[in-house]
Amino acid sequence: MKPVIRWTLWQRRWSTFWWSLGVVALSGFTLAFYPTIKDQASQLNKSLGGLSGSAQSLFGGTDFFSPVGYLNSQLIYFTVPLILAILAIGLGTSLIGREESNGTLESLLARPVSRGKLTLAKAIAGVIIILIVSFVNLLVTVGLSKLVNLDVSSVYVAEACFACFMLVLTFGAVAFLLTSTGRGKVAALGISVVYGIGGYLISSLDSTVHWLTHVSPIFPYHYYQTADILRGTFRWGDIVFFTVFTLACGLLAYLAFRRRDIA
Amino acid sequence: MAQDALIDTWGLSKRYAGNKAYSLRDLNLHVGGGEIYGFLGPNGAGKSTTIRLLMNFIQPTDGHANIMGKNVVKDSVTIKKSVGYLASDMAMYPKMTGAQFLDYMGQLQHNVDEEYKNQLIHLLQADPAQKLGNLSRGNKQKFAIIQAFMHKPQVLILDEPSSGLDPLMQEAFYKLLREAKERGAAIFMSSHVLSEVQKVCDRVGIIKNGKLVAERSIAELEKEAAHTFEVTFRESVPTKVLEKLKGVTVTPHDERRAAIRLDGELAPLLATLAKYDVVQMDVHQLDLEELFMHFYDDEEEQ
Repeated sequence: MKPVIRWTLWQRRWSTFWWSLGVVALSGFTLAFYPTIKDQASQLNKSLGGLSGSAQSLFGGTDFFSPVGYLNSQLIYFTVPLILAILAIGLGTSLIGREESNGTLESLLARPVSRGKLTLAKAIAGVIIILIVSFVNLLVTVGLSKLVNLDVSSVYVAEACFACFMLVLTFGAVAFLLTSTGRGKVAALGISVVYGIGGYLISSLDSTVHWLTHVSPIFPYHYYQTADILRGTFRWGDIVFFTVFTLACGLLAYLAFRRRDIA
Repeated sequence: MAQDALIDTWGLSKRYAGNKAYSLRDLNLHVGGGEIYGFLGPNGAGKSTTIRLLMNFIQPTDGHANIMGKNVVKDSVTIKKSVGYLASDMAMYPKMTGAQFLDYMGQLQHNVDEEYKNQLIHLLQADPAQKLGNLSRGNKQKFAIIQAFMHKPQVLILDEPSSGLDPLMQEAFYKLLREAKERGAAIFMSSHVLSEVQKVCDRVGIIKNGKLVAERSIAELEKEAAHTFEVTFRESVPTKVLEKLKGVTVTPHDERRAAIRLDGELAPLLATLAKYDVVQMDVHQLDLEELFMHFYDDEEEQ
């Protein structure tokens, strides 16, 4: 199992580097703007107060320019999860899917390696890559927040980044599961994106469109409450949901991959 | 000399999802240790399906297969400690060097003989420092062969193993096959190159439309093979007279030259030919390719 993890990480070392650099650029660029707008926070909040509740909720709340509001609406609620979700879904569809479409999966399965261990090794490699990029994001966000005097507890930022990491794992897990069943990469990609983005829209709008409150709990985004986390309310129950969801997808991926024909 | 069977299949069949027809139907074969078994058939006949079933890449619809007495589905991991596999036009990691690829495969295999691996690299003149993506097909094939042989497996499953190799490297590969055979390995190989099969295999199976239509040892095939005579007459070929003889088929090349194939007694043919003015007569043994086509033609006629 270790060689599969090691070689998968080695093969993706440059893409991991570029994704990390991208996250550094995104967070750095966004936080660099904070000093120029923080003095006008109350006026800007007032002017955006005219937006509908639905529109405001798409950005993660009604407060956009306070330290917590800025960090949440500009980075942690949507932008960073979006970027990391692209990475996670891409990994989910390609960790086994690319090996299968390239034909190299046969080389691995010709060795005394069980399909279960191969699935687990690929999943672990994917989690490590997402963890690395998420950790880089955490370091940059905490560091730059201090630098631009964004007054939010580093512990709360770390907790929010951790929740973000756990959220995107669920998206990657859905993609991994669909690819493991032998569905085409495109189908797995499409369904995972619709599930992720659809979940974001439904969970963001459920406060104003009441019937959505019955639907939104099936989407991971419903449990991603970063505004609360940045204000000091961290709910372990949400993390448990992400964990159970990810593990369930992993288990189903194993069961699906265990006995199916390799293309 | 072949020992007890290391590869066995009983009624092995495969029908892919969404297909009505079976790609492989009721395959029964047994390959012993110290035996090289050639599996022949055109594209789509079921050769690769058989190999993929033996490697547990796909699941059988009916029947089952054992390697070294163990079920290929249930005991797949255990079996693969002793199996070397070479895919047709094997996919590799283009950004890895040959050395990295062999290291990776070796780490997964666990029981690689490093000294033997280096001998193989030397024998096949492979360059382990080159990235696989920069190598020609033949040079990539060298690494495919090395990874299949480097742990001295007891069973070798090879799909078109010598494709892309130049004649010198083909000879080096045949040497490896002979060595593996001598140490008692069972070798199951599919090939399009009939001269290669004739040269290295002990036994051949011919598969058509998913069914094994013939299985013979090379010695049996040579004995069975009809003689073909290339005959030049001073005047026109007496086709009608010759074809009245039992077991004779005449294929005229031109007005005075013909190939006469005989599946039976030689004396009546010679007696008939003696009545004509024969300028030249060459005898040659039917080769495997002709025999292969013969099986296919016979099947077509049926």
